[in-house]
Amino acid sequence: MASNAAVPFWRAAGMTYITYSNICANLVRNCLKEPYKTEALTREKVHFSIATWNDGKAEKPVLRSDTPED
Amino acid sequence: MVIIPATTDQMGVLPGHAPTIAELKPEILSVHEGNDVTKYFLSSGFAFIHANSNADIIDVEAVSVDRIDPSLVQKGLAEFTHKLSSASTFFFAHKVQLQLTWRKLRQIGVDVRSVLNSGLSGYPLSPSLSYND
Repeated sequence: MASNAAVPFWRAAGMTYITYSNICANLVRNCLKEPYKTEALTREKVHFSIATWNDGKAEKPVLRSDTPED
Repeated sequence: MVIIPATTDQMGVLPGHAPTIAELKPEILSVHEGNDVTKYFLSSGFAFIHANSNADIIDVEAVSVDRIDPSLVQKGLAEFTHKLSSASTFFFAHKVQLQLTWRKLRQIGVDVRSVLNSGLSGYPLSPSLSYND
């Protein structure tokens, strides 16, 4: 059958909307004047833990963080 | 009235506008109250116009235009224009990403310049890359 209706360019490039939106936001943040820029860049910091599951069991979680360890 | 930068081009919204959901482009949103205009740059996002004439603008990073530093914009534009021209066709996705970046930065530059009415001369608008391509 015919292909899907016009796909947005970011989808055609293999990105999700969230990825696209976050990239755009990042670009805007990098163009701000101080002090807004440092304040905005703190919003980009992430802190999370990932655990992969195998055969119903969780393996050791990996912590990914931009904040210094306390 | 609010002029919203929808992906389907600018839309003017007045009270009584039909309820609408619009995906937004990274562009300027301008709020007109009488003769006063306030401009904001939206990084992307959505606009919801409700039946009761309330409108919600949802965006990750929406900034008042006076918080944008034009020199950083120009710097970023030059950097990404360079990356775009040197991106090989093999890395198509990357190229598309850079192109959208370029477009967005160009928009910031164009509108900031008109708002600040400053003497930013020689702004590098490449004639071969039109906004609508």
